[in-house]
Amino acid sequence: NNEDPTPILGVDDKVQVSKHRRFVAKLDESRLLSQSGIPKLRLTSRQRLRLKGKGHEVYDHQHRDHFSPTANFMEQFSDVARLLNFYQLWLDDLYPRAKFADGLAMIEKLGHSKRLQTMRREWIDEEKPKALTADI
Amino acid sequence: ATESTVVDPEVRAHVYSLVTALGGFNGEDADKYVLGDDALACLRDIKRWLKLYDEKYNRMDVARCLGEANLVNGDLLPILSTFANSTKQTKYMSRIALACLEILVPLTWPLEMQGEMTADNFKHIPYLQHSHVAYKRGILSHASTGYLRTIIRIGLPSMATPRSERATRDEGILKLVLFFLRNIALITPNTRLAAEGDEEETSRSATINAFQDQDVFALLLTMCSNVGDDFNLQDVALLEILFYLVRGVDVERLFMNNTQRTAKRTDELDDLLRKESSLRREYAKNAPTRHGRFGTMIWVKRDDAKYSTVSGQSVLKDDQTTFQKMDDSKKWNKPQFRRKVQDLTTYNDFNTPVHLNSAASENLRKFVEEFLDSGFNPLFTHVRKAIEREADRVVDINSRQFFYTVSWFLQAERARRALQREKRAQSEKPGKEIEPDSFGLVAGVLDQETFVFLNRAMQYAVDSKDWQDLIAEMRCFTQILLTVQDMVQSPLEEDQEIAENIQNRIFYEETTHDRVIAIVRGYTDQGFGYLNACTELTHVFLRMLERYSKENVDMQVRSRRRARRKQKETEGIVEGENDEEHGSEDEDMMEAERMSKERSFDFRRFAAKFCNQKCVDTFVNFTKHYRELNTEQLKRAHRYFYRIAFKQEMSVLLFRLDIINLFYRMIKGPGALDSSKPIFQDWEELVRQIIRKLTKKLEQRPALFVELLFSKINATTYYLEYGHERQTLPTI
Repeated sequence: NNEDPTPILGVDDKVQVSKHRRFVAKLDESRLLSQSGIPKLRLTSRQRLRLKGKGHEVYDHQHRDHFSPTANFMEQFSDVARLLNFYQLWLDDLYPRAKFADGLAMIEKLGHSKRLQTMRREWIDEEKPKALTADI
Repeated sequence: ATESTVVDPEVRAHVYSLVTALGGFNGEDADKYVLGDDALACLRDIKRWLKLYDEKYNRMDVARCLGEANLVNGDLLPILSTFANSTKQTKYMSRIALACLEILVPLTWPLEMQGEMTADNFKHIPYLQHSHVAYKRGILSHASTGYLRTIIRIGLPSMATPRSERATRDEGILKLVLFFLRNIALITPNTRLAAEGDEEETSRSATINAFQDQDVFALLLTMCSNVGDDFNLQDVALLEILFYLVRGVDVERLFMNNTQRTAKRTDELDDLLRKESSLRREYAKNAPTRHGRFGTMIWVKRDDAKYSTVSGQSVLKDDQTTFQKMDDSKKWNKPQFRRKVQDLTTYNDFNTPVHLNSAASENLRKFVEEFLDSGFNPLFTHVRKAIEREADRVVDINSRQFFYTVSWFLQAERARRALQREKRAQSEKPGKEIEPDSFGLVAGVLDQETFVFLNRAMQYAVDSKDWQDLIAEMRCFTQILLTVQDMVQSPLEEDQEIAENIQNRIFYEETTHDRVIAIVRGYTDQGFGYLNACTELTHVFLRMLERYSKENVDMQVRSRRRARRKQKETEGIVEGENDEEHGSEDEDMMEAERMSKERSFDFRRFAAKFCNQKCVDTFVNFTKHYRELNTEQLKRAHRYFYRIAFKQEMSVLLFRLDIINLFYRMIKGPGALDSSKPIFQDWEELVRQIIRKLTKKLEQRPALFVELLFSKINATTYYLEYGHERQTLPTI
């Protein structure tokens, strides 16, 4: 009969089981509309992505084979590669968990929501010529 | 010990004692099967067990015991060969043979994994599938007896009696014979069960060769060409046999001659080797040039002074591999939506291709040609009527089989004609010598009744979401359209006239147009068979309608929609007055018919209906399989995207990142299309032009940077494409 009242090394203590699972970040509307989401995309896309602009030419001169007749070809495909890379980095910043294709699919799905649709229309209207929007 | 738990031991004891009493190999001549004294009674008892125990209680215990007792290969087949080899025909022996057949049919009956299944059924089905294959192997084996021929012999007396004098028993025997042949054609080794290494003996090729050798084809031809005269109730069974014979067989390959086929096979081998070497080359391009522990690591400098690290030497090479690797190293996958399990019966699947050896191809082709010449019209007309009438012998699955088989044979007819044309061109004989064949051989499915039937079936399948049925019907419709297209080019004036008429009828109904659109838009997750069928239908339908409306500038269509609205209005007015005004549906239809209006058809407007995000998504989903698609399928997708981007000028619909990403991967890899193929050039050109358009649009409208992420909203699509609203003209 061992009736030692003092617990040894806390063996007899009840183990506390935490009820809540760890919070998993979700790619939802609010995340998409947060500062690192679409606002950032709108801000940076113009500056960072110079497709066929002056910056592009400089960039390409280092790589391009001047004698290749397909130079124009390469140029266009490098354009789209840069475009895709830009979005991949943006998405990686926004939601590092998802792969590129998965992330795109999730965002596309969000685009069907009411809130995003109104936002999207606003962004487009912003860019329309003033006279035109006034007309409508 | 395990055996006794599977089946009730008492049942097993009863069945085993019957099998033992049936007879066996013993006595002085060990090769000879000796019938037991009461063999006929034993056979009848076995049949009774199957019927009164298995069938009545929805169990499979007796069938399983018979399988374990090796009844078919150990007793029934030896008895049949005694019957076949005996010189004098006794009545007793023919009765015994018939009793054997009566047991063989239920024992080889297809095991359906649907409907109400008991735990007992699930327990026995894998074993029974296995034993079915063993039965088939025994029946097709090259022993002294042709068992199929013997079975046909059992049915011959009944067949010889004229239909008017045939008793119910005779009809029953004929039914048994045909169902037996159907079962034999149907049994295929289950791919999910362990392979035994001798699938060749029970393959489709073996079946076809046996059918040819033992005159089953001759029987089928006789019966098919006399359906309606001598054979009335056998049409559905014949249809089923044909279905199981031809499903999955590649028509194009069947109608090649041997040299072409060898050439094709060499081409394919060449293709495969090239594909493999290009895979290897692609790997070699990115493969490490040093050993695995060389340990390279790079930083990817990003904005906001952030860095990502990527390891491996390949990343040193270019940006693309680096980005690829960054993506690949992510562990998390988006949870996939799982489609619920499809119907488990593999028997009615027709999307799995089947390969035939050269002898079987030859045999089947001969049969198909003879069938087209004599049996096509009588059989299919008769079956169609039976299905429409909902005759007792018709079951649900038959209409799917009907449409699939019709589409297969129409395609076969077209392939045969192409082959003949080629031959004629090669022989360079003066054209007068050979009379051009008319399309009368397949006219049985080109009449108005069939169109009505097909249309109704398609609408029903769309409404009840029966996708497999719909796939078969789409294929049938596509083949009809293609056949009509061939008819237009026929040298016979009569054919041309009929084709003109048919086209008129097909394209006259606007409901047909709307249905095609609804089907393409309706793709969610119905699988590749649906994708393939609906994209092909769209492609063929659009192209033919385009040509037809160009030739007939003042084309009219019958539209129903406007009529409906009007009808509703009138109904709304009368609604308050009395309820009797709500007539039956038929009356509504009549009303709609009367109110329906004709209006001139505008192809551009029609084609514009295919220009929406849903249709584009369907084609994108189809194109995602680009590595497995053949040239014809890639061309189909190419033409569609070309139409979207340049003919209809709705390239904005394609400006979505996942689509652009897909296009880029198709051209630049990893996993790009084979660049040595001519279709690659087409695609490269298309993608290049789309990208050019995209970069231009991005310059003009920066809002597109955000819109690239999403499917476009109707309200803004027009602006994004043209830079102004649809109604208002640009003021500046």
